[in-house]
Amino acid sequence: MDLEADIVVIGGGMAGLVAGIRATEEGMKTVLLRKGQSATAYSSGAIDIIGYLPGGTVPLGSPVEGLQGIASMFPFHPYGLLGFTDATSDTVSKTIVEKVRTAVSWLKATLLGSSIPLFGDIDSNLDAVTVLGTVKPTCMIQETMWPGSLMLDADSVALFAGVRGFPVFNPRMAAQVFLEHQISNRLPPRKAGHHVLDLAPFGNNYNISSIEIARYLDNEDNLSVLAKTLKKQAERIGATHIALPPVLGFNRARENQLALQDLTGAHVFELLSFPPSVPGLRLQRGLETAFVNGGGTLLVGHHAKMESLESNIVKEVTAVGPRRNLKISTKAVVLATGKFIGGGITGTENGIRESVFDLMTVSESFRIATSITPQKLTNTIALTHMGHPLFGSGLSVDPQFRPITAEEVHAAENLYAAGSVLAGYNYPAEKSGLGVAIVTGYMASRNAVDYVKGVSA
Amino acid sequence: MAKYDVIVIGGGSTGTAVARDCAMRGLKILLLERDDIASATTGACAGMISSGLKYMDEPNIVDMCSDEVVNFKRIARHVMEKNPIITPLLEMSDISSGGNFAEEYSKRAETRDVPPVLFLTPEDSLKIEPTLNPDLIASIYFEEYFISPFALCMLQALDAKQHGADIKTYCEVTDILTKKGSITGLQYFNRITDKMESAKTKAIVNAAGPWAHKIAALAGAKLELRLNKGAHVILDRRVVNVGVIAKAIEGRMIYLFPHENTVLLGTTALDTWEDPDTLVASQDEIEYLLKSMEWVIPSIRDARIIRTMEGVRPLIPTWKIPEGDVTRGYEIIDHEPEGVSGLISFTGGKLVMCRHMAETATDLVCKNLGMESECKTHNEPLPGNSDDVDILALAKEYGVSQHTVERMRARRGSETATILELTCDHPEWKTTICTCEPVIEAELRYAIRATFPQTLNDLRRRVRLGTGPCQGTFCTFKAAAILAEELELSGEDFQLEIVDFLAERWKGKRQSIRGEQIAQEELAQGIYACVGNLDQALEELDYDLKPWEEVL
Ligand SMILES: Cc1cc2nc3c(=O)[nH]c(=O)nc-3n(C[C@H](O)[C@H](O)[C@H](O)COP(=O)(O)OP(=O)(O)OC[C@H]3O[C@@H](n4cnc5c(N)ncnc54)[C@H](O)[C@@H]3O)c2cc1C
Ligand SMILES: Cc1cc2nc3c(=O)[nH]c(=O)nc-3n(C[C@H](O)[C@H](O)[C@H](O)COP(=O)(O)OP(=O)(O)OC[C@H]3O[C@@H](n4cnc5c(N)ncnc54)[C@H](O)[C@@H]3O)c2cc1C
Repeated sequence: MDLEADIVVIGGGMAGLVAGIRATEEGMKTVLLRKGQSATAYSSGAIDIIGYLPGGTVPLGSPVEGLQGIASMFPFHPYGLLGFTDATSDTVSKTIVEKVRTAVSWLKATLLGSSIPLFGDIDSNLDAVTVLGTVKPTCMIQETMWPGSLMLDADSVALFAGVRGFPVFNPRMAAQVFLEHQISNRLPPRKAGHHVLDLAPFGNNYNISSIEIARYLDNEDNLSVLAKTLKKQAERIGATHIALPPVLGFNRARENQLALQDLTGAHVFELLSFPPSVPGLRLQRGLETAFVNGGGTLLVGHHAKMESLESNIVKEVTAVGPRRNLKISTKAVVLATGKFIGGGITGTENGIRESVFDLMTVSESFRIATSITPQKLTNTIALTHMGHPLFGSGLSVDPQFRPITAEEVHAAENLYAAGSVLAGYNYPAEKSGLGVAIVTGYMASRNAVDYVKGVSA
Repeated sequence: MAKYDVIVIGGGSTGTAVARDCAMRGLKILLLERDDIASATTGACAGMISSGLKYMDEPNIVDMCSDEVVNFKRIARHVMEKNPIITPLLEMSDISSGGNFAEEYSKRAETRDVPPVLFLTPEDSLKIEPTLNPDLIASIYFEEYFISPFALCMLQALDAKQHGADIKTYCEVTDILTKKGSITGLQYFNRITDKMESAKTKAIVNAAGPWAHKIAALAGAKLELRLNKGAHVILDRRVVNVGVIAKAIEGRMIYLFPHENTVLLGTTALDTWEDPDTLVASQDEIEYLLKSMEWVIPSIRDARIIRTMEGVRPLIPTWKIPEGDVTRGYEIIDHEPEGVSGLISFTGGKLVMCRHMAETATDLVCKNLGMESECKTHNEPLPGNSDDVDILALAKEYGVSQHTVERMRARRGSETATILELTCDHPEWKTTICTCEPVIEAELRYAIRATFPQTLNDLRRRVRLGTGPCQGTFCTFKAAAILAEELELSGEDFQLEIVDFLAERWKGKRQSIRGEQIAQEELAQGIYACVGNLDQALEELDYDLKPWEEVL
């Protein structure tokens, strides 16, 4: 045996890292394998818990409200599973809300001292503004992304500022979309201007990426030019708030935000953006740092390989790295391999498959999907609030988050699953991606830890 | 009310060719296209301007095709490419029935500047195309020309415009007016102004492809078509070095053709009665093509399928014979004998014949109008075909990658330098907007200003935006912002452009979705739904469902 662990976590996105950090906190010897990049790093960095009920079109005022709806209508939703306890039915929704609150508060506390403190809680959803100028409900955002009083203060004026040669963000169109949306909802601001900054990070004036700008701004000296122009432009239109693409830095984002606010006198914030997403990467890095600092072993570039499940207990995982194969003995496994982006779930013309253990997969409506053609799980409409069932397919788990077989028994006694590898929720439509990953990662980890403690005792 | 000598209905290869020919002969022309230039059958075709390979038993058509290749090389070489093609034989019976193919092809090879047909040993075949099934016993080698159907139509339309024609896209003909059996004009709905408009004319050329019978009916004339659906599966890159032709499961011939940055696997041929606007490739068609090609390219399923593409062939109505036996020639029908004077319609034809079809039709129009004229379309170059383009020098001069410049050249020919010149005042326009193709911002701005796109989908046809493996995941919102700036769109219309474009891409992605393309789609949903929240915006945005999106 090359390595010994109490718990092996397969997958290093939000779900896997939450599970890993929690396990180390419980004193478990934890090894986490991350094959490649994760959807977590591609995310906007805003943490959605639940923005719309499944199939719903009304933005939820708070995650709590959404969780209560799920408790009564969608018992097999990953959040719904949290309610399967010995308690009586009238406490189900309370149980769910409390479990989510625990996991979310824990995450917030974990990231408190980091370079990405979070803002928000499950008692209300926030309106976050995107680089398209659209608004979406989300639960928590990094402090640098909070728009402050922009949409509350009747006298607020927004300045959308982009960077010349950075094509992701067009400040003129974003300002227009945002203003049209706010006006039609009779909300502030009444005025929004736009400006394009000549930043030329590292001397480049075209094909600029968000990563390049963030690295550039991680150097304190580079902020002053930006501040000067922003101040002038903000004064030109009387802006009280300045919206920037999320490029304020990897390490110094918060300091830069505060410094810019000082220098311009306006509230400065980062918009939600698309991959490559600096806040997504900040989140990924922040979690990995917390895991490693807590004593966890992180193996990046290693993928877990298993022969299919023969026995009822997983005792060993093989980590395949670039030049080596590591055999890791373990007492429990958390499978957090993500969906199609992460690679936990794959689809061919022959069906939807789980990629590590070849576990049974189900569709969003819990029909066995192992031999359903992916196309059959899609709608004719590209973008719809109903989502595509394909992205709600994955593993079916028992209330302990153990994947189940066609016979409806757990595939292995000590195998738990978390995050987007699970079926039964449609994160692009519901706006629940990172939230489900956090909460299920937290719970799967707790169950795995309990199991390990149980067998060790 | 505007008055025209001739009004052409349809902006596919046929209609744009007719408009160009008529305009070059000095006629006052209006072309009306319901959608965009090359948005229907023409946009779905493989772009092969074939030597007539499939119709070796129709020698006059082979002659015509061969001549047309030579004509295209004269007028449009900048949007053409030549591809070697291999037909591997796994058994003797794989030789297609037209046994005199080699002879007929070789007879005309020299005029087209290609070698005669060669028979290759298995070793030589595999050297040229290592992905072939190693069990082959021999192969047949020849070369064919291809043209970009979008570029050809656009250039024909632009050339017609330069010769004084009015080209109106998004104008759907709704009625044809007649008086005592003669055409007097027509009415159309202008989707840009949202108004009914009309125009006067005594001559209408009906080049509405698979809708031609409906246009004829508007004038009270009769036209029959045999409509035949064809689908392609598009692979993400050039998975083969050369074109490959193979015998399909029921004995038809199918192909794998390099096409721009991709490879086309096609095609099916199914008699169809469906509305061409709602058509999508079926599971059966996709599997038929894969299964058939798998015999000669065993690794074909490892390739990443990016989407499907389908169109309807407006064939000459001959019945009770297989589709493959229907003549690939064309007919021009003058509806005068049935009492509708001034209306002429096309049936049949091919992309390769479009110039020829236009010439014959224009001759007839001129005769009917009592004027003498001479066709010049085969001699005068299309825009952008003037000089050679020095890719290496331009790439160096403007600091743009050679690949980007080469792809630009393949679309714009000698205009490439003009486009790159824009980056002197705007260095930021060197930014790559579509990374798959690639397309830089300068070319998008230029295409918007010079080629009258109304939508992002039109822009796709101009510059191949969003046609690569990512299918618009990363370029849609960027390009939409540029279009919105140039056309001064509202925030709402900017969002609608994004949604419309994604809807059109999804139409082709959905049917074949599998493998990597699912992860790609998760990314797209992540961007546009999860973060952008556009899935929720649809109702607010006043989005109209597309024909293929309607479910009962
Ligand atoms: C473009 C985009 C934007 C998004 N924005 C948001 C947002 O703003 N807010 C929000 O809440 N949600 C957002 N989401 C959704 C959210 O990112 C995901 O739902 C969430 O990150 C899923 O986390 P996960 O840990 O389950 O999976 P992932 O983050 O995908 O992690 C899976 C991990 O497993 C690893 N892995 C897979 N197979 C193996 C193997 N065999 N061995 C070892 N490792 C393996 C992968 O390399 C990866 O590290 C977005 C998604 C996308 C695509
Ligand atoms: C799968 C496939 C592959 C093919 N491959 C090749 C090939 O490799 N080589 C080759 O030579 N040929 C090929 N063909 C054949 C070729 O594509 C067609 O013959 C040719 O493109 C037909 O052009 P068209 O202009 O007649 O029709 P279309 O391109 O269909 O144009 C007709 C136009 O009329 C418009 N219209 C309809 N109604 C109205 C109205 N009421 N008002 C205004 N406008 C209207 C439509 O919007 C449309 O744009 C292929 C065909 C298919 C289906």
